[in-house]
Amino acid sequence: MGTQLAQYVPVLMLAGVAVVFTGAMLGLSVLLGKRGRRTQVKDTAYECGMIPVGEGTARLSVKFYLVAMLFILFDIAVVFLYPWAVVFRRLVAEPGMAGPVFFGMLGFLGIVLVGYLYAWRKRGLDWRG
Amino acid sequence: MDDLILIGPELAVLITGLAVLLLDLWAPPSQRKTIGYAAAAVLGVVFLGTFAFLLPEPRMAFGGMLVLDELALFFKRFFLLAAGLVLILAVEFSDRLKAGESEYFALILFALAGMMFAASANDFSILFVALELVTIAFYVLASFQRHRTRSLEAGVKYLILGALASGFLVYGIALVFGLSGTMNFTRLAQAPEAVLSSPLFELGLLLVFVGLGFKIAAVPFHIWAADVYEGAPAPTTAFLAVGSKAAGMVLLLRVLHGAVPALVDRAQPVLMVVAALTILYGVLCAIPQQNLKRLLGYSSIASAGYLLVGVAALNAAGLSAVLYYLAGYLFTVLAAFLVIALAFPNVDSEEIGALAGLHERAPLLAAALALALVSLAGVPPLAGFFGKFLLLKAALAAAGGTPGLYWLLGVAIVGVVISLAYYFGVIRTMYWEPHPPTSPSSPSSPSPPCLAVPTPMRVALWLCIAGMLWLGVMPGSILNLTDLAVQSLAPAVPVP
Repeated sequence: MGTQLAQYVPVLMLAGVAVVFTGAMLGLSVLLGKRGRRTQVKDTAYECGMIPVGEGTARLSVKFYLVAMLFILFDIAVVFLYPWAVVFRRLVAEPGMAGPVFFGMLGFLGIVLVGYLYAWRKRGLDWRG
Repeated sequence: MDDLILIGPELAVLITGLAVLLLDLWAPPSQRKTIGYAAAAVLGVVFLGTFAFLLPEPRMAFGGMLVLDELALFFKRFFLLAAGLVLILAVEFSDRLKAGESEYFALILFALAGMMFAASANDFSILFVALELVTIAFYVLASFQRHRTRSLEAGVKYLILGALASGFLVYGIALVFGLSGTMNFTRLAQAPEAVLSSPLFELGLLLVFVGLGFKIAAVPFHIWAADVYEGAPAPTTAFLAVGSKAAGMVLLLRVLHGAVPALVDRAQPVLMVVAALTILYGVLCAIPQQNLKRLLGYSSIASAGYLLVGVAALNAAGLSAVLYYLAGYLFTVLAAFLVIALAFPNVDSEEIGALAGLHERAPLLAAALALALVSLAGVPPLAGFFGKFLLLKAALAAAGGTPGLYWLLGVAIVGVVISLAYYFGVIRTMYWEPHPPTSPSSPSSPSPPCLAVPTPMRVALWLCIAGMLWLGVMPGSILNLTDLAVQSLAPAVPVP
């Protein structure tokens, strides 16, 4: 067994603890807990005290799906800027790193920009389109 | 900066893909075909540009993650040529897509970039990213005809099984990394014996082989192939058959001979068994097929088996034959799909019976398809014959040390004989069966309508025919290239 794999022993232990703990909790509640009386009111879904009305699956406009997808795309793309900005000053100071660090991110933003232009021109940002 | 020059071809392809997307936003819809042809022309320029690389010795880029050697250059040219022809086919096919023609071209270009990165991969992380770039592009390309249930079915099947294969691949890479502490092929080759002999390490490599076996459609990872080949649009299927398979092959060669040359001998029995099963399965399942694309799907499975024969031979001649076979396969399969796109204007009937009397309606198409099928069957003097001949010859040369290879040779020869039957069945339909009446109301239509062949398709067809004949008649010229490519792979490969 390599030392690399040995590093993961805590993960394996955590997985074991998780299985044993959840199993014990569920098992103990079955063994020790008391069964309450079941009535029709008790069996309804708990919705913060409201009485549930209508279907459980509401229909949503497909436009939400598009907006959510665009949001995730651009949101995650922008998240990459934060770690870059944090280490930017230190990396630029190293010899020969200024060009790759700066233009690398510019290239990445260029690709994101193409995606943005595409979404914009294809009317992906247009709610009424 | 040197690093960027080494990945110049990939960068050019990626920028072309982005440019296609941007151009589509402002160009009028009537100009879409021009965009496609322009992209194909750019690929031609990049193809010629790769000959500017002079490599006295392999060059590394990005800290050893990418390698540019003769093998990488060979496959990059291969992919560029294939994608150029597929783009011409896609432009012709774009009328049947109904929406998103330019996106279709752009996705082909992005998949091409992934394949080109795969050709240079010298690190498991690049291997994975390159393969995913290819595969994710193909998920969309396979289901591009959204109005056709078959196409959607193909896309969904490819997505689910592709995700499963990626899971195997990642798990294998994780095991290899966990035991050796590196993902770099060069450093893995120097891993200590204690790591290499660990069963977990072998398990990791086996899982990587599962992931790559999915890409090349080797039994038992072939389940997706026939359905996806049949349902996907013709240009997608053509690119899947040629490009995706070759990308899987080059990665298999890189992992076997670049990363774990010490374990190659232990991999040989697995490769031989998989090769034999793949050949038999592909050949036997192709016999009853009525749909030409499905037939070519099974034929592509069988071809994966023949390619694995060359890999299992474990000598330089075998690897050289693998590259030669792929080069011939490129022209042969693309010729067949160019004909399929033209001869079946109605995508829902790609039945072989609809080809009856094709030689009267379109002599060029019938001749090209006949040549392609004869080449696939392995009849001299075409490219397919020499490919199979070289593969079997290499296996025979290596069989002295491993008697199992004799069995594999026997299976391969039986496969060749069986395959003659179904390839010649198609040719018989084209040449010796009368054209069916065009419509039930007028059963005595005197002359069936001639099929028009647009000029770009004509050029592409002649290129494929010339390639098949050139490779078959003068194999020496391309064999120099493949020998050079194999030499750069690893000095460890024994030269017979």
